[in-house]
Amino acid sequence: MKKILMTLLSLTMASSLLLAACSNDSSAPASDNGNQAAPASSSDSGGTTAEANTAELLAGPVAASDMSKLPEQAKKRTDTIIVGLTDPSGAFTPYFHQSGYDGNVSSVLYASLVTVDDKGLPIPDLAESWDISEDGLTYTFHLRKDLKFSDGSPLTAEDVAFTWTILHDKAYDGDSEVSTVLRIKGGQDYKEGKAKSIEGITIIDPQTISVTIEKVNAKALLTLGGNVLSKAYYGKDYTFGSLDYIKKLHATPVGNGPYKLDKFIPGQEVRFIANEYYYKGKPKTEHFIYKTTEGDTWQFIETGEQDYGSFTATQDNIDKLKKLGFLNIVPSTGSSYGYLQFNLEHATLKDKKLRQALTYGLDRKTIYVDANQGGAQIANVPTAPISWSYTEEGINPYNYDPEKAKALLDEAGWTEGAGGIREKDGQKLTIHFIGSKSKGTDIFIAVAKENYAAIGVQLEAEQFADFNALSSKFESRDFDLVSFSTPMLIDPSDGVSSFVNGEVKGYDNPKVKELYDKGLETTDIEERKKIYKELYQVINDDAPYIFTSYRKSVYAYNGRIEGLNVSPFRGLATSLPDWSLK
Amino acid sequence: MSTYLLRRFLYMILILFAASLLIFMLYALMPGDFVSNNMKLTAERKAELREIYGLSKPVMERYFNWMNNAFHGNFGYSLAQQKPVLTLFNEYIWNSFLLAVTSTFFTWLLAVIIGVIAAYKQYSWFDTLVMIGIFAAMSIPSFFIGLFLIKMFAVDLKWLPPGGMLTTGSNATGMEFVREVVDHMMLPVIVMTLLGVGSLTRYFRSNMLDVIRQDYIRTARAKGMRERVVLYRHALKNAMLPAITLVGFELPGLFGGSLIIEKIFNWPGIGQLYMQSFTVRDYPLLMGFTMFIAVLTVIGTLLSDILYHAADPRVRL
Repeated sequence: MKKILMTLLSLTMASSLLLAACSNDSSAPASDNGNQAAPASSSDSGGTTAEANTAELLAGPVAASDMSKLPEQAKKRTDTIIVGLTDPSGAFTPYFHQSGYDGNVSSVLYASLVTVDDKGLPIPDLAESWDISEDGLTYTFHLRKDLKFSDGSPLTAEDVAFTWTILHDKAYDGDSEVSTVLRIKGGQDYKEGKAKSIEGITIIDPQTISVTIEKVNAKALLTLGGNVLSKAYYGKDYTFGSLDYIKKLHATPVGNGPYKLDKFIPGQEVRFIANEYYYKGKPKTEHFIYKTTEGDTWQFIETGEQDYGSFTATQDNIDKLKKLGFLNIVPSTGSSYGYLQFNLEHATLKDKKLRQALTYGLDRKTIYVDANQGGAQIANVPTAPISWSYTEEGINPYNYDPEKAKALLDEAGWTEGAGGIREKDGQKLTIHFIGSKSKGTDIFIAVAKENYAAIGVQLEAEQFADFNALSSKFESRDFDLVSFSTPMLIDPSDGVSSFVNGEVKGYDNPKVKELYDKGLETTDIEERKKIYKELYQVINDDAPYIFTSYRKSVYAYNGRIEGLNVSPFRGLATSLPDWSLK
Repeated sequence: MSTYLLRRFLYMILILFAASLLIFMLYALMPGDFVSNNMKLTAERKAELREIYGLSKPVMERYFNWMNNAFHGNFGYSLAQQKPVLTLFNEYIWNSFLLAVTSTFFTWLLAVIIGVIAAYKQYSWFDTLVMIGIFAAMSIPSFFIGLFLIKMFAVDLKWLPPGGMLTTGSNATGMEFVREVVDHMMLPVIVMTLLGVGSLTRYFRSNMLDVIRQDYIRTARAKGMRERVVLYRHALKNAMLPAITLVGFELPGLFGGSLIIEKIFNWPGIGQLYMQSFTVRDYPLLMGFTMFIAVLTVIGTLLSDILYHAADPRVRL
């Protein structure tokens, strides 16, 4: 009886967590600028035991151990691969969709001019090569020969120019940075209706196009090098200032990627068929399907209805996946980081020593690594370990050290008062924490309360079930510490922009601003590495954030698939043309 | 009757107006809007987008705009899904309806049969067992039964598909297609029926118990009628009367979708869509859907009043 009760209890817990996890996932801003894709749907259920398990995690890929366990359902499919995706909405035009999941779909339908390798460095895609002028302001792209759209029409520099131009329309409501962050010469005039075309864009010949920007920007290459829209198709009805017509084309995309859209069944699946006009040649597998899986994906993986799934890298999940036998399992780390942001407008938190003390005094390993069964890694810099800018050189790891924290607090003038809580000038040291309502936050609060009590700091926690409610509390500035996580980061500048653009209110370090600008003013990677190293050292010492963790995940896929590789920055789409079924 | 209808109709219009204002205010005053969700945008870009979407206008002006468009049959574009709201409804609501209508049918069928038998054999072992079973079904959360059934029938036994509405990638047509959908519907319908049948059975049982003790039942029996006829022709008819009011209230439920069931069984229904729109504050969709349910609710109550009158001439309108 007791056992049944326990099973019931744990199942109930698992399910409520599952629900919490789902609502959590969808609250994350699913923004996308057309050339990046959120990782395919991941499942968080399973790892519910809070038991600290420090057993060694998956160090490298594990191949399927027993293909005889492959379910009948999967065996029956000979020319189709199925991957889960949380919720594509049907707006498949790059730059124009509002949901990151539609970005996943369009990344299969469209290739970009420039893409990135596994380190985040630019490599050619539709553009064979590119030149950057001496002053770093003019970019010239050389397109491959004989490029074609999926309807067989040719892709030329005209189409590229059209794509950049339409993003400057005043009615454009997507989040492409081409018109907002980059300053293409004459772009603003076009947006205001003062010019008929954009001055900075020059078509040299059908295979060559150049563009001039006003200010050097290291992100320009990738921002400009996005997907290309067909002018003949998307530009047919275009007049300046009205883009409503494009909504009608969302469901019938004309792309240039490895696959073309076969059929979209809302809420169920997106079916693709190999594109014979793809420049690298027709993909090896004829059919590809993104299956909408809103909740759990386990049952679809287990029954073979789905060939690929991504899971949090907890020991439980890994063991379960290994037991299934017919899956190849590969560990991966995401390109985002989690952090706790201090409210630097509060006088007490302006003191660097206090912030450092609070970092030393927090047992991040227990909270983020052990409680997650190893499904995460401790972060200390604002970039992901997979990025080329990642470094540990000269970085303080802030290992958990309550004694050091106490010493720093003493130095900062906070002395022990009544009830063991430190005081300064009659003011108690309490930290007001806000965060979302999730399993991770629950663990944080439980452990952090104890950690901080031990160094004489009182933690008051408040949780919000709805992401908007949390952000409005954040806007009201009534907090000391808030828990957030970044979206997927491509360029290292994405991870540090919040320190200079006023998002971290009250943080003002001229050195950080200088290094940030310097980091964007050159396109030389080695040079940039040095700049970011220095920048990370400064931020790491300043501690405007307590960096928390990098989420680790494992992806598992059917052992029959060959040639699969997941780019941490671009997801599945880059290797998709090479996938084949054994 | 006709003056009654006219009066009711006027009330309905008033109620709907008040409801629309209330709902609009509720959504408009919630913290956050569609733009604020996106953390990657700069403050300037956010202001630009609010201008494009009309979110920067005063709330009352936005409300009148919405009303004006709605009267012209235009319920707006969903911001997140980039499609007209009505198209989205059409894509998702019928899937929810299919589940709801099937499970409602089975719920009522089972509830009537079990309710009558349980009442007739009050305190028998059948009655006791049924009541225990019903309470168990009512008190176990739907997601638990759902996950349990998936584990048992889909993952372990492989008798039924684990979720969705179609086998992924299937090109079935005609009877094959129907068969596939029925297979996929089986588990969610079972769960929804299990959850709903409890309260309804108890309702029928207690109505039946009331009726069975009436004098005319005794008279019918005294006439020497067969027990079956007494039960089903004389007693059940009257026991069903109060239930007719419930029919009208089922109406919004038929189209409203079920968030939890749809999530667990990966069913492409409106409940899921609504929940997502809520998290991203997709006003046109939220507004459209909530108003749709409000209209159905109002119509449903009217319908049950009329039905009640039709079924029981003693009730005067």
